[in-house]
Amino acid sequence: MSSFTKSAQQWATFARSWYLIDARMQPPGKIATMCSVRLQGKHKPIYHATSDCGDHVVVMNTRHIAFSGNKWEQKVYSSHTGYPGGFKQVTAAQLHQKDPKAIVKLAIYGMLPRNLLRRTMMQRLHLFPDDDLPEDILCNLAEELPQPRKIPRKLSEYTQEERDAFPMIWVPPEDFRMK
Amino acid sequence: MVFLTLSHWIRSRGPDRWWRVQEVLKHARHFRGRKNRCFRLAVRAVQRAFVYATKGRQKKRRVMRKLWISRIAAGTREHGMKYPILISNLVKTGVQVNRRVLCDLAITEPRSFQSLVALAKARREEGLRAALGDGKEPPGVFSRIVQSH
Repeated sequence: MSSFTKSAQQWATFARSWYLIDARMQPPGKIATMCSVRLQGKHKPIYHATSDCGDHVVVMNTRHIAFSGNKWEQKVYSSHTGYPGGFKQVTAAQLHQKDPKAIVKLAIYGMLPRNLLRRTMMQRLHLFPDDDLPEDILCNLAEELPQPRKIPRKLSEYTQEERDAFPMIWVPPEDFRMK
Repeated sequence: MVFLTLSHWIRSRGPDRWWRVQEVLKHARHFRGRKNRCFRLAVRAVQRAFVYATKGRQKKRRVMRKLWISRIAAGTREHGMKYPILISNLVKTGVQVNRRVLCDLAITEPRSFQSLVALAKARREEGLRAALGDGKEPPGVFSRIVQSH
């Protein structure tokens, strides 16, 4: 590479890109780690905390997020209004009902470093509950990131041949009566 | 003249006090407030500044190494591998490149860094083959230990 075009290379290296993540059937924690890494710029070898090298991240389908286990009923989000008697505790299901973007937003907020740049990074995060994105954001998107979790297929999505080809552990005898 | 021994009565207590004070004040000239002018305040501030500078030189080594490691980790993840695997496999192949140079390669020499990542990946695969295989396969090329003395 010749020495007089280094400015173009530098512009390309330090440019801020836009990433898209589809959160359908994904655990919000894994989505949040991917987002926080890219918002801080830790996926770049030129990373430095003060050099403002984070990218924009667009998360779509946050309404269709999938917690594992019983977290929809057991995970509690607490907050205090500041007034006496204002301690509020909401389960993940109730919070998701009220605001489908809140779970992902709180997860990412907690994973970013606790400094003054956190709010700037949150402004570069764009959450959408469904997959209809506005025009101006669609124009900016550069790359879609692969989903962290492989979505298992439902029984209705298996063809009859695959169902027949699946090995049976125990074959019932002819005179067996199923309840 | 009458008083010929007048000059003998003058006792000089220390002719170089100004220079001794300036030695301290010159390190305090960029401080804020009266610390940059008044000796009593400047002495304390300069002492603390020197202590912070010493501790900073030790912390700088730690901070720089941490930065190199996070940059190398970002570079290896771009190529589909993780930092601890890269380092352990480079050590096993005998490549003694330190983290500072690895970080500079990841930034300015991406192809060289990619070839180092490929080397570590090959060594890792050979190690897994040797561990999980039956021993009937031929021994690997990268895992051969070369004696250089």
